[in-house]
Amino acid sequence: MNVDYHALAPEIILGITVLAVLVVDLLRIPKYWTAVIGLVGLFAAFVPVLTLGFCESLDFCTEPETAQRVLFGGSFVVDTFSLVLKGLFLGATAVALLLSVGYIEEDRYWQGEFYFLMLCSALGAVVLASSRDLVTLFVALELVTGPTFLMAGWRKGDPRSNEAALKYFIIGVLSAAILLFGMSLVYGYTGELTFGGIRAATAALGDSALLTIGVILTLLGFAFKVSAVPFHFWTPDTYQGAPIPVTAYLSVVSKTAGFVGLLTLSYQAFAELRDVWGPLLWILAALSMTVGNLIAVRQDDIVRLLGYSSIAQGGFILVPFGAAVAGNVTGDQLEQAFFATVTYLLIYAVMNMGAFAVVIAGANRLKSTLIADWGGLSSYAPGLAGLLALFFASLAGIPPIAGWFAKLVMFSSVLGVDSGWATALAVIAVLNSVVAFYYYAKVIKSAWFDQVPDTIPAAELRGMGRAVAPSLQFALVLTAVGVLVLGIFPNLIADVGDVAKTVAAGF
Amino acid sequence: MCQSRAVPLLALAAQTPNLYSPRPGPQAASASHKGFFETVLDQYFGDYITVAAFLGMGALLVAGAVLASAALRPNNPTAVKSQSYECGIDPVGGGWSQTQIRYYIFALLFLIFDVEAVFIFPWAVGLETFSDLGMGVFVLVEMVIFIGILVLGLVYAVRKGVLRWE
Amino acid sequence: MTVTPGWYMALAAVLFVIGATGILVRRNALVMFMSIELMLNAVNLTFVAAGRQIGLIEGQLSVLFVMVVAAAEVTVGLAIIVAVFRRRSTASVDELAGMRG
Repeated sequence: MNVDYHALAPEIILGITVLAVLVVDLLRIPKYWTAVIGLVGLFAAFVPVLTLGFCESLDFCTEPETAQRVLFGGSFVVDTFSLVLKGLFLGATAVALLLSVGYIEEDRYWQGEFYFLMLCSALGAVVLASSRDLVTLFVALELVTGPTFLMAGWRKGDPRSNEAALKYFIIGVLSAAILLFGMSLVYGYTGELTFGGIRAATAALGDSALLTIGVILTLLGFAFKVSAVPFHFWTPDTYQGAPIPVTAYLSVVSKTAGFVGLLTLSYQAFAELRDVWGPLLWILAALSMTVGNLIAVRQDDIVRLLGYSSIAQGGFILVPFGAAVAGNVTGDQLEQAFFATVTYLLIYAVMNMGAFAVVIAGANRLKSTLIADWGGLSSYAPGLAGLLALFFASLAGIPPIAGWFAKLVMFSSVLGVDSGWATALAVIAVLNSVVAFYYYAKVIKSAWFDQVPDTIPAAELRGMGRAVAPSLQFALVLTAVGVLVLGIFPNLIADVGDVAKTVAAGF
Repeated sequence: MCQSRAVPLLALAAQTPNLYSPRPGPQAASASHKGFFETVLDQYFGDYITVAAFLGMGALLVAGAVLASAALRPNNPTAVKSQSYECGIDPVGGGWSQTQIRYYIFALLFLIFDVEAVFIFPWAVGLETFSDLGMGVFVLVEMVIFIGILVLGLVYAVRKGVLRWE
Repeated sequence: MTVTPGWYMALAAVLFVIGATGILVRRNALVMFMSIELMLNAVNLTFVAAGRQIGLIEGQLSVLFVMVVAAAEVTVGLAIIVAVFRRRSTASVDELAGMRG
């Protein structure tokens, strides 16, 4: 049987890495080798992503006839879009792994299992980026979320971690059930599992109540996964209770995986049903931004604040979808909306990982995640305070940092559409950006301009920059460079624009 | 709308004989010299007669066995004999009792390995079709990899001492 | 009266709603989990009925995947629930010697 092993190479390498971590965990050698092998595997899986992406300029690479490599009868497609997201997932997992090293080692238990589960989840995410079939999508999505249930409850002795895991698990499985019921209805109506087939069938058969319910349930299942309001209630508790590196992983990889599912489903499978998902996602976007930001303002714990901030950022990511509400939207504009979402996802991943890296570095030393305790951080740890300012300014969208470019692309994709609905959503997004600026600036102000609280022994904490573990330092440098480079040279991302052409082709 | 099937793997499985062909209905054997109504009635009651005959035979068998044992055995009731049976030991406590947590881990392990076996059934059904197409070795290797991963999981569980009863 | 796949779909919808109601009404993690399993079985029934209606085997194949994923989730979920129970009912664990696994 002819299988394009080159196209499958990232998954195969990652799969072998997962098994290797399992075997190494059984051997009587120090457990940090599992982390080392995991990291090496992640970088090794990155190599075929690059060779696939730059196939035309490589000698040994046989190019496919079309712009995409279609495997298994259309269930698995490797194109620019999926490659970009595979790169994102691999990179974000590598950073999350670096963040976990010190944290999990400190707890002294189950290191091997932890990295095994994290890599399994990453494997799911990498497969998800390519799945163009309801069953493949579902299995990949569950492979992403299944291990994270356990990771959220990793600190078995901590009741908050237990609670985080249980809430996350119940909601995660519930959303899977809703998602599946929607998928089964879509399958029942169209008789197709592949996205291409569903699209053709819906074009031929037209609309029906059954199909509409199926589409809505499917998208609601994903709304839970991306924690869009009003399906967000598990997010703050889980984010606060889980170990912080796991929270970073959840808020970036797991969340992005949900958005990838939303993107491929709505722009490919349900491309003919824009009048169903457009309004639904419009409402979710508006609610997520507003509720997420307004509650974030009141938070005094920095992890919980980042939890609500990630809900709000999810709303911003959903905004381009809302542009599709307009009936007169053109194919070009839909491509732009798609491009805007992918761009935002990329930049969000880098800056949110960076923000969590700073929080972990600070919390390691301060033993507190209360914003008030972080007052005067700049006086004894100027480097860390600088990075904190960088990442939070990026989340707020201040030029010339990457977050600003993400917001710019997002706004221009919506404002390009000539419709009252799109304009209204843009106005809501602007108002929310202002609110978001307030609470991000509050954290920066606390770190730079407030006095060190009496409870914090600042003199002892001096020299904190040198106390940060090397793996954490590496993660901080990586994300900081990413945020700056993407902000100053945004044209690097513009190449991703081709993505939109290959995926949203046919509008 | 289903002409252009984009899933050759699944479509192949769909074409395998005896997998999805509905059984021919009872109408196929209708006798020509009878009227339609009579044929239907015949079949209708014919089925019931078969069921009734089996029911009757079953009842006779059970009744015969019970009566025969009642006629042959000695009859000497004591209090011990009318106790409920529990592994031959005197029953103690209520019906609701705590179970060892260890059973639980075994049950979880069993569950996951048991359910994974479900993938082997469609594979076994489709294997012949694939080997006719000259892909037999490929498909066999796929399953070897699948089972190899499961075995690795089992080895992991054993090495971690999950299956030890201590 | 013949039982068409449509009836199975209706039954599946009813099962799904019962499961969803169970989630909303019950507060025991284990019972909520059972309700979710009911919802997943409703999904399986829909897949099989739809596959039968269309005359394709994909519906049944999808059920296999749903079953296996559901089993994996059961394993994960029960492990989490056990961890929570161990932590929450520390007072009574001493009395229940069997819980010290």
